[in-house]
Amino acid sequence: MNSLIKLELTRALRNRKFLFFSVIYPSVIFLLVSNQTGKVDGTGLSVSSYVMVSMASFGALTAVLMGNSERIAKERESGWVRQLRLTTLPGRGYVLAKTASAAVVSLPSIVVVFLVAAAVRGVRLDAWQWFALTGAIWAGSLVFAALGVAIGYLASGDAVRPITMITYFGLSILGGLWMPSSTFPQWLQDIAKWLPTHAYAALGRAIEQSQSPETKDLALLVVYFALFAGGAAWLYRKDTLKA
Amino acid sequence: MDPMTTTATATTAPVVGFDQVSKTYGTVRAVDGLTLALHPGETVALLGPNGAGKSTTLDLLLGLKHADSGTVRVFGTGPREAIVAGRVGAMLQSGGLMDEVTVAELVKLACDLHPKPYKAKDVLARAGISQIADRKVNKLSGGQAQRVRFALATAGDSDLIVLDEPTTGMDVSARQAFWATMREQADQGRTVLFATHYLEEADAIADRVLVLHRGRLLADGTAAEIKAKAGARRVSFDLEGAIDEAPLRALPFLTSVDISGQTVRIQSSDADATVHALYGLGVYPRNLEVAGLGLEQAFVAITAAEEAKQS
Repeated sequence: MNSLIKLELTRALRNRKFLFFSVIYPSVIFLLVSNQTGKVDGTGLSVSSYVMVSMASFGALTAVLMGNSERIAKERESGWVRQLRLTTLPGRGYVLAKTASAAVVSLPSIVVVFLVAAAVRGVRLDAWQWFALTGAIWAGSLVFAALGVAIGYLASGDAVRPITMITYFGLSILGGLWMPSSTFPQWLQDIAKWLPTHAYAALGRAIEQSQSPETKDLALLVVYFALFAGGAAWLYRKDTLKA
Repeated sequence: MDPMTTTATATTAPVVGFDQVSKTYGTVRAVDGLTLALHPGETVALLGPNGAGKSTTLDLLLGLKHADSGTVRVFGTGPREAIVAGRVGAMLQSGGLMDEVTVAELVKLACDLHPKPYKAKDVLARAGISQIADRKVNKLSGGQAQRVRFALATAGDSDLIVLDEPTTGMDVSARQAFWATMREQADQGRTVLFATHYLEEADAIADRVLVLHRGRLLADGTAAEIKAKAGARRVSFDLEGAIDEAPLRALPFLTSVDISGQTVRIQSSDADATVHALYGLGVYPRNLEVAGLGLEQAFVAITAAEEAKQS
């Protein structure tokens, strides 16, 4: 299975467009929107550090969601997944390899945002906070990796791209990764606070505020992970029986 | 355990054993009570018109699909166990490949995943794709992609090679080169099973031909036996003047008659007797030819006869 992970990675690193969108693009947006002084209401965080967590989360989300869903749907259709089933690779191996390679790409996308934020916008945190932030955002991205896999097994053909896009932008914007959800009208805020992306970014912000994360956010992420991973496993099994 | 299985395991297990295997999609019986056994070292062609159940049969054999009833055994175990043990190499008809990687990288992956791998360099050479090793997989022609799939199927020392329509998309010379490579595999004592719709391939390459029709096994034997079964020979001749059809159609041992212009073509299960009776009619056939059926005609005759029987 390691050889498949290695090959998936080689391929991901070779794809410049994908690398640009998952690694460079979040930092570019960060630079564009963090150019304000002052604090974000009700958080005690500077605009730069607030946006830094949003964009690191957004970058990780891009890396794990965008790459996998479309690839899996395509490779299911082309028959590559069937071909792999004629090898010794265990059934889960394909999905694990995809998730692992996505995780490897998502790590630099997080770190690059942090580096840019520290170097250009002067964001300062304690050492433990940097490490905890990286770890939390990286680990949290698994929730969306599972979602990507589920979409890849749910949708096919022309449907996969629009579904991925709607999910991706919907979760990013409504979850408050692009602008603080406190700027939303109340009814939208009521929806937003139940989204996994909202809980995901809240996790990072709690670390920045040196607070322990809210139980509700952690619980939300765990529930979503179980939901997406369970859904992906169920769809995977259905696909295997059908193929 | 039923007595059948006990007998089967007591002697050497066949390479592939299907016992009363059925698979239905909705109302369509893709495979219908199929029973067959393949033995070590055989090169077997699986023939059948489109929709005969060839691909489903191979999918069942490879564990990609599960039978509704009956058992599929490969080397005495389930298909998946046989694959994990590295005993089966397979090339699928719609075998998509991984995009954006090179041919060499993909073949290396197949070697890494095989329990008894060959060196990637040798696999590339044997499949005749060394010179395109650095090319991206998504930039290959149809025939080149088929060769890459073949390389994936032969990445290790498997005992059974399964090929579903392996030469689709290849031109004539590529096809010949492909079968030369395939023969090497068979000569090393491997069992080879391939589905094809090129009957000349089955005729030239297979030791044994299985004819599948509507999910059932219609014929099983050497190409020569299949041809014999089909109504062995065709007889053709010309007649001058007006042709009186009725006595021609009444000739003994006929399986089909085709009269166009002055030319009469008939198929007969006993050509000697038919020709003898033909002279008995008092006609003077010119340009008389008696020839064996090609596998293609035999195949058409067998499946047409079955269609007629069913309707």
